[in-house]
Amino acid sequence: LEGTPPVMAAPLEHENQVFLDLFHQDGLVICARGLGIDRILLRFLRLYCEPASLVLVLNTSPAEEEYFIDQLRSDGVVHLPRRVTNEITSNCRYEVYTQGGVLFATSRILVVDFLTDRIPSNLITGILVYKAHRIIESCQEAFILRLFRQKNKNGFIKAFTDNAIAFHTGFCHVERVMRNLFVRKLYLWPRFHIAVNSFLEKHKPEVVEIHVSMTPAMLTIQTSILDILNVCLRELKRYNPALEVEDLSLENAIGKPFDKTIRHYLDPLWHQLGAKTKSLVQDLKILRTLLQYLTQYDCVTFLNLVESLKATEKAFGQNSGWLFLDSSTSMFVNARARVYRISDDKISKKSKVSEKMDIKERKELKRELVLESNPKWEALREVLKEIESENKNSEDLGGPGQVLICASDDRTCAQLREYIIAGAEALLMRLYNKTFGKDERAGEEWIKDRKAVKSKGNARSDKGPQAKKAKVEASSKQNKIMKKQDLTLTQMMGKTEEENIEEEMEGYKELSSSEEISIEETKPEDFHLNLASDAYYGIFKTPLTIIHPLQGCSDPYALTRVLHEVEPRYVVLYDAELTFVRQLEIYKASKPGKPLRVYFLIYGGSTEEQRYLTVLRKEKEAFEKLIREKASMVIPEEREGRDETNLDLVRDSTSATVSTDTRKAGGQEQKSVQQTIIVDMREFRSELPSLIHRRGIDIEPVTLEVGDYILTPDICIERKSISDLIGSLNNGRLYSQCISMSRYYKRPILLIEFDPSKSFSLTSRGSLHQEISSNDITSKLTLLTLHFPRLRILWCPSPHATAELFEELKQNRSQPDAAIAMAITADSEIVPESDKYNPGSKDFLLKIPGVNAKNCHVLMNHIKSISELVTLSQDKLSEILGNAVNAKQLYDFIHKSYAEAISQGKTKR
Amino acid sequence: MPVSWPARVTAASSGSREGAVLGELPPGSEASTVPPAASGDSDPCPTLKPGAKSNCIIVSARQRGNPILKFVRNIPWEFGEIVPDYVLGQSTCALFLSLRYHNLNPNYIHERLQLLGKTYAVQVLLVQVDVKDPHQALKELAKMCILADCTLILAWSPEEAGRYLETYKAYEQKPADLLKEKVDQDFLSIVTDCLTSVKSVNKTDALSLLSTFGVSHLLPIRVQTGPCHC
Repeated sequence: LEGTPPVMAAPLEHENQVFLDLFHQDGLVICARGLGIDRILLRFLRLYCEPASLVLVLNTSPAEEEYFIDQLRSDGVVHLPRRVTNEITSNCRYEVYTQGGVLFATSRILVVDFLTDRIPSNLITGILVYKAHRIIESCQEAFILRLFRQKNKNGFIKAFTDNAIAFHTGFCHVERVMRNLFVRKLYLWPRFHIAVNSFLEKHKPEVVEIHVSMTPAMLTIQTSILDILNVCLRELKRYNPALEVEDLSLENAIGKPFDKTIRHYLDPLWHQLGAKTKSLVQDLKILRTLLQYLTQYDCVTFLNLVESLKATEKAFGQNSGWLFLDSSTSMFVNARARVYRISDDKISKKSKVSEKMDIKERKELKRELVLESNPKWEALREVLKEIESENKNSEDLGGPGQVLICASDDRTCAQLREYIIAGAEALLMRLYNKTFGKDERAGEEWIKDRKAVKSKGNARSDKGPQAKKAKVEASSKQNKIMKKQDLTLTQMMGKTEEENIEEEMEGYKELSSSEEISIEETKPEDFHLNLASDAYYGIFKTPLTIIHPLQGCSDPYALTRVLHEVEPRYVVLYDAELTFVRQLEIYKASKPGKPLRVYFLIYGGSTEEQRYLTVLRKEKEAFEKLIREKASMVIPEEREGRDETNLDLVRDSTSATVSTDTRKAGGQEQKSVQQTIIVDMREFRSELPSLIHRRGIDIEPVTLEVGDYILTPDICIERKSISDLIGSLNNGRLYSQCISMSRYYKRPILLIEFDPSKSFSLTSRGSLHQEISSNDITSKLTLLTLHFPRLRILWCPSPHATAELFEELKQNRSQPDAAIAMAITADSEIVPESDKYNPGSKDFLLKIPGVNAKNCHVLMNHIKSISELVTLSQDKLSEILGNAVNAKQLYDFIHKSYAEAISQGKTKR
Repeated sequence: MPVSWPARVTAASSGSREGAVLGELPPGSEASTVPPAASGDSDPCPTLKPGAKSNCIIVSARQRGNPILKFVRNIPWEFGEIVPDYVLGQSTCALFLSLRYHNLNPNYIHERLQLLGKTYAVQVLLVQVDVKDPHQALKELAKMCILADCTLILAWSPEEAGRYLETYKAYEQKPADLLKEKVDQDFLSIVTDCLTSVKSVNKTDALSLLSTFGVSHLLPIRVQTGPCHC
């Protein structure tokens, strides 16, 4: 246990405690977000990375696995974890399992391996479950754990999650999760836990909260949007009185998870909702986007969004009414006022105001640009300046500190970078020109104005690029002496991820090059660092200043890696995010002695601030609820399933085995048959196999070419979810599946399985057309049943219902044989005796023009083989087929020379 | 209500005749997609009821007053003396069951099914789901349908149920093309589709084969890949 290599950062106090608690007794750890649940899992991984143990890790994504393996590698672990994916063939997997160590395994593969005993269950040391809150929704992991506990009573199960909010919903959620995990202990580690709190208090980073105030226009817009949101919410409640009122508060409506909440409530009855409700849901989403854009981006981007909303409303006539509210008018007016004002006293000949084309008045309108700058930008500038001046006399701290600026998304990052390098005017001008077309005169005038203002007010003019340049130079000169950077810097263009941003950057480059003429030395050096993440934007080389997005990176650990590699002394949070703030705390605590200062930039009294606080409060409430639940929880002794008494592990075998006749004397041997269902490998993505297994029916996973489930030698079932059903009816797949099913099985069955969380209905209300339409799903289903009279249809509202039905269908019927089922392929030659025609040949003939379902059998009766068909004359063919047209088609097709065919094909191309 | 029928009968009947012409198939031919194996356990040979060959849906007098009849608008219907509730074609019939009724009289449908026997090739049990918790009843009906060789169709409203009746009648003679994979109608696509029905041939193979041989040379290849029991 103590053999931790010195490379790794020393574990923090509370982490030690979490680790030891969980090490000594299995349980579920729920930790506050960002408090380092990954670090704890990593410690367990490090512990078990040795050939003597076999530990499975469930529920990790490839990116996370990559990160864990990287971390372990850098810690010098020899026996690194491996991944078990479909790239490892089934034959090799046993070997991989027996080699031991830590294995990240795809759940589907594990299920199959447990069922077929390919994995030596008795040798497994234990299972680590990451993101354990998902165990209820994702059935496969629960199935794995159940299979594991049935076969292995000694191994450990330890579960980790940092999503306390997920346990907030539903009845006894945490208890159900623990039951599925087979653990008795619940370890709660909220941020306000005394150990965590007191420890982090000791290593508090220096925090500077800067409450930026919004401009009056922004405030008015925000108020208007909130007004509209409120109206929409009220409407929504009025139309749907059944909706729970508590969750639909304004506070929740501005948060990100609101969409999910509302879908959660509305999905089961989505097909009954009127158009009004649906459009209200849509509007709420749009309004939330508006709020976000308001604080996140600049005035031009916001206006563009607002205008495009209005344009779509005009173009499509969609309108749910809020655009006519007074508040929305005020929003529009203010959004425009932030960008330009229309002055009617000046007369311009070249007016390019496209939106106002209809106003063909004598007095032409002229736009006078306002281009309001973002208050946060100014604040950021101030902060950078402060850092700069502090870096100048930082010899005693060991040189200037690196700076990390974090903003929520890629777009903001790109904007910030441009702002810092080129300045607010250039950025806004470029955006304005891009979105509203070049309005050169107005632009020039605006710049002239600004310059005049600047030269006048010299006191505040150090925002200009010139002053900036001087400072950059000064600091870099100073730094050259003492800088010792182990990071490789290359003179490369900073890599941007998204194309649109690349586009923006190009636009910016043009712009900056034009500016270079006037201010030569400020040319920013684009550079590329050898950092672990590819999503950042570098600004200055010395001291290293980097902007990194908080979200939207392909690698979820990108920011973490950057943080540890750059080791910034200053972190500027342009947008606050809970997880990262906590991560910073942990980072600070793990590097005691290193100074860290965090700047929060937040709009005071804005929805942005409210959002952050709501997330904080939600998590706190979730933990409080968990603590209460933990106090009152009754956990049965046998929960862990280490003996035979856990009822969850008992498979319902009494009903599954053939009921024995009680009147028969004990002497007469009555063998009870173990029920079996053959299941196609691909079906293990669904929940159904796990539920069938639970009913005491054995599952044989094989690769089936015909059907998904074989219940008895006669019954073959093709399972379709609604979306599958629609898709496969349209692309012809279901038709061929039905053909092969009815060819090889007496009772082919199509199972239509509905999603229990959605409505149990095939068509939604009011979607029926007046006429019969061949595109309707019901029409196609009708046609299918007409063509396959033996095809039975099962309609199941949920997988649970399906499993129950399967069990009942199997009663008093014999068991299927996996070998036979596997041998049946779409082209197999095992033909039921009654069918005297070779199905393969029949399919083949049916595809030839001129042959149809009707004359196919006649034709097959007349010819011995297909080669004979080739020798027949056209007359003979028409005699057999009884139809000259068909015969000609058939004859022409067969005797068309390939040259002819090719030339025809060419003309077609 | 039936007073207004004659005018509609002509309109609809011409429609269905058109369908038959387009499909190029005489009635009943579609049964041939079912392998003869079907005739093994029972006799699906549809007994032609007097008056069954009709352009109308024939409705049993028992169904008088059923609201779903209001929604049979695109196809004409008339009352007739029949065993099932609806006769939807020469070999298709349907029994209608409302779940609400079923919950009150669970034996009713059992008796009806016994009375019906196995007289039609396609016997539809059209169930209207009009209760709140239909699951238990549906499970029983599903099992019953498998035993009685019925096709279970669920509708959630009288409109939908009516639409199913209409569709069954309208599609009585419709070929299955709508359900099949769409194949381009040019020569190359047909040949490719044809050749790839042999399992070991893929699309590229088909093209290269075709460029080397003509169709008349290619077809016998099929024989070598699998014996033909013609």
